[in-house]
Amino acid sequence: MAFEQIVFYAFSAVLVFSAGVVITVRNPVHAALFLVLCFFSTAGLWLLLRAEFLAIALVLVYVGAVMVLFLFVVMMLDINIAVVRQGFARYLAVGGVVAILLIAVMAMVVGGDYFGLERTPVPEPIGEVSNTRLLGLQLYTDYVYPFEIASVILLVAIIAAIALTLRRRPDSRYQEPGRQVEVRRGDRVRLVSMKSEERR
Amino acid sequence: MLENYLPILIFIVVGVIVGGAMMAFGFILGPHRPDTAKLSPYECGFEAFEDSRMKFDVRFYLVAILFIIFDLEIAFLFPWAIVLKDIGLFGFSAMMLFLGILVIGFIYEWKKGALQWE
Amino acid sequence: MVALSDYLTVGAILFGLSMAGIFVNRKNVIILLMCIELMLLAVNINFIAFSYYLSDTAGQIFVFFILTVAAAEAAIGLAILVVLFRNRGTINVDELGTLKG
Repeated sequence: MAFEQIVFYAFSAVLVFSAGVVITVRNPVHAALFLVLCFFSTAGLWLLLRAEFLAIALVLVYVGAVMVLFLFVVMMLDINIAVVRQGFARYLAVGGVVAILLIAVMAMVVGGDYFGLERTPVPEPIGEVSNTRLLGLQLYTDYVYPFEIASVILLVAIIAAIALTLRRRPDSRYQEPGRQVEVRRGDRVRLVSMKSEERR
Repeated sequence: MLENYLPILIFIVVGVIVGGAMMAFGFILGPHRPDTAKLSPYECGFEAFEDSRMKFDVRFYLVAILFIIFDLEIAFLFPWAIVLKDIGLFGFSAMMLFLGILVIGFIYEWKKGALQWE
Repeated sequence: MVALSDYLTVGAILFGLSMAGIFVNRKNVIILLMCIELMLLAVNINFIAFSYYLSDTAGQIFVFFILTVAAAEAAIGLAILVVLFRNRGTINVDELGTLKG
């Protein structure tokens, strides 16, 4: 067995195992942490497929940002796990049957008969061309409109997140450094000239 | 190409082995004599008042969301910076439009006071 | 050598598992969102596998866009979840049936 194959099976095993834990574990915090493990092992698989840039982007964006967000939300809401877990065993049977059927059907379709090494051989190595460079050459020329639409989607996400969660509290106090610096002497001190008064 | 990543793989393997071995040794060699007094939650001599999980303020969450958005923006900048010489003015203006649209969102959040800490 | 079918099978297993997760955790919206992320991940694995074996970079560009959309979706979905929890005090799907006729 080639070394690459061993690495592939190791990463796939970790991926499938941690995905199984994500959907069955009681504590949502543990589920989020195992989802992080899922993303890591997927990044390993993508490296095997020579998608270096996306593998690093997955770790950066997903592990670094999205999962932190998930963990924040899990911590922010204190959930009654017992209520949420009601009917777990009953659904487990149905879900298991559906999942096994789905996997069996898909494995038949994508199995070795159609996508084996004879039909789709491993491509020749293309030499030392940076994957990021190949990606960039297409992304900003052929796919420039989807690229601009992506920015609009991000804009929508910014505005939606602020509109949904930002809530001003009128009684909260805060400092505004800009206005603190702006203050001149005249705003605070008033010099009054007046005659000295007689002592009584 | 993949051989460049071999050190990372070795690093992961060594990390897993060292971390796993330490936990395993601690588990095997350490004495286990649990009783109810040891296992019960403890808070300065009385029973714990509340869950150990603390509620976060929503403001942390908002900052995390904005972080994701700008993280993705940076991810789009990397390939652009590499191929900028080849794609020329067209690619440059495409990225400026992209950044301009996101700056609108940035101005919005600034004006709304989402970056303000109370 | 690792064949294309191996990667596709891993993607299929991941998709099936996350499908089962949606069935099993149908009351907990947070885990549901995590399962959706897993499904998107399975789809992304397929895209990248095809992109490598067919020597076509377009698949990777699609994955990049899917990552973008999925991150935005997670951000907005969790924002809705937070607002929901603040207003109703629960994330149990069964108790969120106000719109049901």
